[in-house]
Amino acid sequence: MELIKEELVTEEVPVRELVIEEISRNHKLLHRHKLNKPSINIGRDYHNDIILADPHVCPSHISIDFIDEQWQITDNQTVNGTFVDNFKEKKHEANQHIVRDGDVISLGKSQLRLLFSDHAVEPTLAFSPFESFINLMRHPVALFISIAFFTLIAGSIFYFNKPIEVNFSQLFVPAIGMTLGFALWPAGVALVSHLSKQDARLMAQLGVSFALFNLMWFSDVLETIVTFNSSSDNILSIFVTFTSVILAFTLFWLNSYIGFHMSRKRRIVVSASITLLLFGGSYLIQYSKKPDFNPRPNYNATIMMPSFLITNSSSVDEFINNSSKLFDKTKKEALSE
Amino acid sequence: MKAFFTLVFIVLSSSSFATEQAEQLFNQLKPSLYQIKLIDKASGEKSSIGSGFQISKDGIIATNYHVISSYALHPKKYRIEYLNSEGETGLLALQSVDVINDLALVKRKMDSISSDDIAFFQLSKSTPHKGEKLFSLGNPHDLGMIVVPGTYNGLKKESFNQRIHFTGSINSGMSGGPVVNKQAEVVGINVATSGNSIGFLVPHDKLESLYQAFLQAVPESIEQQMAAQLTANQNKLMNEILNSPWQAKSLGKHGTIPIIDVPFIRCWGDSNADKADALILTAVANCSLDENTYLSSRFFTGSMEIEFRYMQAKDIGANKFYHLYQQQIAHAGAGNRAGKDNVTQYQCHHDLVMPSNQTINNKSIFCTRAYKKFPDLFDVLYLSASIDKNKQALVSHFTIAGVDQKNALAFTRKFMEAVSWN
Repeated sequence: MELIKEELVTEEVPVRELVIEEISRNHKLLHRHKLNKPSINIGRDYHNDIILADPHVCPSHISIDFIDEQWQITDNQTVNGTFVDNFKEKKHEANQHIVRDGDVISLGKSQLRLLFSDHAVEPTLAFSPFESFINLMRHPVALFISIAFFTLIAGSIFYFNKPIEVNFSQLFVPAIGMTLGFALWPAGVALVSHLSKQDARLMAQLGVSFALFNLMWFSDVLETIVTFNSSSDNILSIFVTFTSVILAFTLFWLNSYIGFHMSRKRRIVVSASITLLLFGGSYLIQYSKKPDFNPRPNYNATIMMPSFLITNSSSVDEFINNSSKLFDKTKKEALSE
Repeated sequence: MKAFFTLVFIVLSSSSFATEQAEQLFNQLKPSLYQIKLIDKASGEKSSIGSGFQISKDGIIATNYHVISSYALHPKKYRIEYLNSEGETGLLALQSVDVINDLALVKRKMDSISSDDIAFFQLSKSTPHKGEKLFSLGNPHDLGMIVVPGTYNGLKKESFNQRIHFTGSINSGMSGGPVVNKQAEVVGINVATSGNSIGFLVPHDKLESLYQAFLQAVPESIEQQMAAQLTANQNKLMNEILNSPWQAKSLGKHGTIPIIDVPFIRCWGDSNADKADALILTAVANCSLDENTYLSSRFFTGSMEIEFRYMQAKDIGANKFYHLYQQQIAHAGAGNRAGKDNVTQYQCHHDLVMPSNQTINNKSIFCTRAYKKFPDLFDVLYLSASIDKNKQALVSHFTIAGVDQKNALAFTRKFMEAVSWN
């Protein structure tokens, strides 16, 4: 029904509808006007169809008229002039310019984008599968549970590593402190998105971040179990290390998905860069702190209680056999210098 | 705790009463005593000093290896000079060393005219008897040649390489000086002090055999000679250790550990049983070889340490026990001092290992680093932590410095099979 009605309207009205968007300098949409009359006046005074507050714009700056099935711009001999300012095109005077779909014109310090109503729009963006996950995680109950879980794990880690007896409050304070510290990240992201005129969505940021932090604890435990159960020749531990990189990337991706509108490609680039900065940066710090010569051996002494033991042990023969390879390796190193 | 020896670097006040006998001896021997100086070529100043004494007509002077060690390792950086009783100086050439017994032979250029005049020390044909009066000669702290009377107290009991226990103050700078009996025959060479008039000497027969070997054949390269001596010494040591009885001993409630029954490995123990607030009861036994071989001031080898640790959780769960237990085993270090120029970095292998007796399951770590100047010699480190009991743990650990691959692995294998639960 509606489709037919729309066709009828276009046939009856000889004027082509013009959409005029007020945009900011970095092409963010500020206002949108849809006009359906043969002559459109734009300027600073209150007679205009579109009133601009920009002091560099003249009271009646330009008019856009529908002549011979075309829209034409007329500059009213303004102080600062009017220019066609298309991306990838040389800036030129807009007087007598025939409007094309998508043209950007600048008046004073303001910019307008001119669009015809048949301008093709981007295809509809489907909800990401993460949407339901985000909605679940920002639910107050889920949020409370994940933050409580995080605090509990932080507290138990403090407990396990303290070589002296500790009471509840001695664990509670650092655990809460750690939770607050980790909450700074989602809060910071929410603040930045609020400042950049987007929805802050603090609850969603908190919920998703703490869910991911908890997954990181989990992958840590998994990594410890794998290193505990494997010998130094095992490559499985490298894959497990990789999961923490993936988790960090997912966290940054979700943060930017919740907080900022950006293209898919840009979001991937941004989250990959932050991940790289985080892991590359910490690797660089470690690398720069590494002494030229370390008189101590650097070995992996991961041990866990017997219930985490899932593999069979090697025999002494196998161990001696594998250890004997180290002699050739170090001797080669000694002779190469 | 462990007795601590320094290589004659400790200052002691010496009561220099000189008996008539000592005075007579000193005057007789003075011409063939030397101060040995290592001169840094670039700065032209001395970098270390010691003493030496002539043992042959053709100008062979005996001293300690540690006096000239810098030259032996970096011959281009230093030169060796002597200063005799007349105040004359001259160059010395390094001829032969014995790093294990800390001895070196250097040669002085002799003029044909003066060679007849110079007396030289005779090496004693017999060993002294306990309580015999001896006289140590040397130049402590660059103060001039002195004579120190003292007493022979036999050979040091727990040493693998023999040392004479001499009661008399030996000081820094006297290293390499001779110790003579009343007949002015050399019975030992000053080498180390343990403070409070406890001195150590290298027995004269070590010098005798070094000199005889030198007369047979002059070593082509000092470095190769050192490598051969280090290799032979570790073979001798490891053979004796591997072929000695290893006695099973219990540690804590349920641990069984081996104690190697040789006099030169001494064991000490400690526990925290007196600390009521400790979360983990810990009993530690450590055994070590009471000596090491000096290669340079930053490079020692030939040492051996063995440590066992039994731990039992008191009022904590298994998870916490294992967290604290891991902290205990995370920082094992080398047993000997060595730098970037001497050794490579450690390379490690770790795995879960169950010995053939099936009574214990361990996480075992084996690390080794190679010597840059002496190929085929390595420092090894082994650490093993039991992972099969919820609230008890047994850690076994050793380090051996300057050992070859065959001996290191043979020792590791025997050691791994000897640690278990009972």
